[in-house]
Amino acid sequence: MKLLNKSLKGHIVYSVLVLFVSMPVFYFELTSIVAEDVDEDLVAQKADLVAKMEKVIANKPFEYFQVFEPDIHIKPANTKRIKDSIYTISFFDSIAKENVPHRVLESTVVLNNEWYNITISKSLVDNDNLIFSIVMVQAIILVLIIVGLLFITRYHSKKLWKPFYVTLGKLHEYKIESEKSIELEKTEIDEFADLNKTISNLTNRNHEVYLSQKEFTENASHEMQTPLAVFQSKVELLMQTTPLTSDQAELITELSEAGQRMNRLNKTLLLLSKIENNQFTEKEPVNIDKAVQKLAEQYKNALNQKNIFLHTRVAGDAVIHANQTLIEILIGNLLSNAIRHNLQGGRINIIIEPNQFNISNTGNTKSLDESRLFQRFQKQTADANSVGLGLEIAKRICNLYKADITYNYADSLHCFNVTFNNS
Amino acid sequence: MKLLIVEDEKELSKSIVAYLKQENYLCEIAPDFKTALDKTESFDYDCVLLDITLPDGNGLNVLKGLKADNKTDGVIIISAKNSIDDRIAGLNLGADDYLAKPFHLSELSARIAAVIRRRRFDGNKVLVLNELTIDTLAKTISVNGKGVDLTRKEYDLLLYLVSNKNRVVSKNAIAEHLSGDEADVFDNFDFIYAHMKNLKKKMVQAGCEDYIKSIYGMGYKFDI
Repeated sequence: MKLLNKSLKGHIVYSVLVLFVSMPVFYFELTSIVAEDVDEDLVAQKADLVAKMEKVIANKPFEYFQVFEPDIHIKPANTKRIKDSIYTISFFDSIAKENVPHRVLESTVVLNNEWYNITISKSLVDNDNLIFSIVMVQAIILVLIIVGLLFITRYHSKKLWKPFYVTLGKLHEYKIESEKSIELEKTEIDEFADLNKTISNLTNRNHEVYLSQKEFTENASHEMQTPLAVFQSKVELLMQTTPLTSDQAELITELSEAGQRMNRLNKTLLLLSKIENNQFTEKEPVNIDKAVQKLAEQYKNALNQKNIFLHTRVAGDAVIHANQTLIEILIGNLLSNAIRHNLQGGRINIIIEPNQFNISNTGNTKSLDESRLFQRFQKQTADANSVGLGLEIAKRICNLYKADITYNYADSLHCFNVTFNNS
Repeated sequence: MKLLIVEDEKELSKSIVAYLKQENYLCEIAPDFKTALDKTESFDYDCVLLDITLPDGNGLNVLKGLKADNKTDGVIIISAKNSIDDRIAGLNLGADDYLAKPFHLSELSARIAAVIRRRRFDGNKVLVLNELTIDTLAKTISVNGKGVDLTRKEYDLLLYLVSNKNRVVSKNAIAEHLSGDEADVFDNFDFIYAHMKNLKKKMVQAGCEDYIKSIYGMGYKFDI
């Protein structure tokens, strides 16, 4: 959830809550006030009526009242006195021509020793309309205030958090291997200024650590070459000594093998640091199809030995503007992996399309762990010949040319796909 | 044959001298740039092994000096920097070959032999070892004057072993020599066995003595 929405969420929930609670409360409060008012009115009217009745009673029948006051009914009552009661009831209104709620006061009065039943009713339709209008106006005002406040808060938050989002965007784009240090905007908010400063320090430090680590790999590999050369030459001289027993010969062979492995590892590390240092600057149009053909020819012996069937399908011309050597290393690494991890009599499919190619091979019927696949020294077999850097190199080369390399396992085929993004 | 080894790593130059003594080369060592310059100016060598990174100068300048003086010494650059740029720069300056460290002594020996053969002006590019004759120009061999048909790989293998005659050449060195970088990827010696078997068979059938000996699975030796 975005920061802005998160901070607004509370506001919105509270506003809606207030709106929904306050509206009924407001409505009922208003209704009860009006009802009370009407009731008081009715009581006053009754008192007035009783006074009038006493004056009128001698000469006029009560029906006359009806003519002037249609809301008042007076009937002689035969029952005993009942208590005054006020209630709300709906009945047909001849003027409005519909059922309308009325507030009714029912009472019995005694005049000249005779009981009379009087009912005074008052239409509530005007009051209801008034209440409805008031509540509506109130609701609209409330909604306007809430929505307005939300927009203002949002606008302010956006403005307030802008330096934060700018910094975040810069961090997204930041690459540790790039030469430039991160440039953050100046801000007047202390906390953000502090954040930016801390980030700058952190990235600068990281960059330094990265550089020194890179330098170390490079230097270590370079410095290693001389002792390795000495070691290898001495082993070769040792081979020439006589007399030599078979035990000694075996030891020497093992020494030589170990030296060879160190050698290979060192060469690969050097290549890796060369790629990272961007030392392959020369670019030219590289035809993937031709590169694959060249490498397939180079690996012919190995393919024949394992009796692997290599099938290449060219679905379109794939010409990449890149360094020839690096692209050959990339394809070579993938192809040699496909050979090394293949079965006897297995198969390799290479599909070349414009801007992408696919190398899939039969092999172990278990998907490889993709998350660890492209990491350094993550060998998934115990093969002593592989140094565990082949895919890392492939990945680096892909990164250099903004290509995507992906792995998937389907239909018993381990498939590596390289897609060059046209840019 | 006179050789100059320009190499600041003493142990390495010692190894090279020890390995090459079989060939009856006269080896001199120049441990730094200044000595190398003095020696190349004063004497002629059949082949100079030149390390580029020297403590007091760039080995390429020795090469430049040689070319400026119109000397015909063969030059093999041995460098720790296996970069294409270096290789091209060295070869453009007139070096005969380029070998990246670490290298097999047998490979170095074969390269030196090739450079010396190429530089020989008497036109003698034929190696004669008893009944076996190798024409390095035509890349053919004959036994007792009768030609033997070898594949390219078999010929390379034979020449490599002959260049290191009477010394054990390791399987690794052979694999690397025959297949270049591919040997790095597939540490598999089966293809060497196959080539070796065919080569030996062809030579023995042609009446050549079986000079190629397997030494305890460690490597092979052309024993003459």
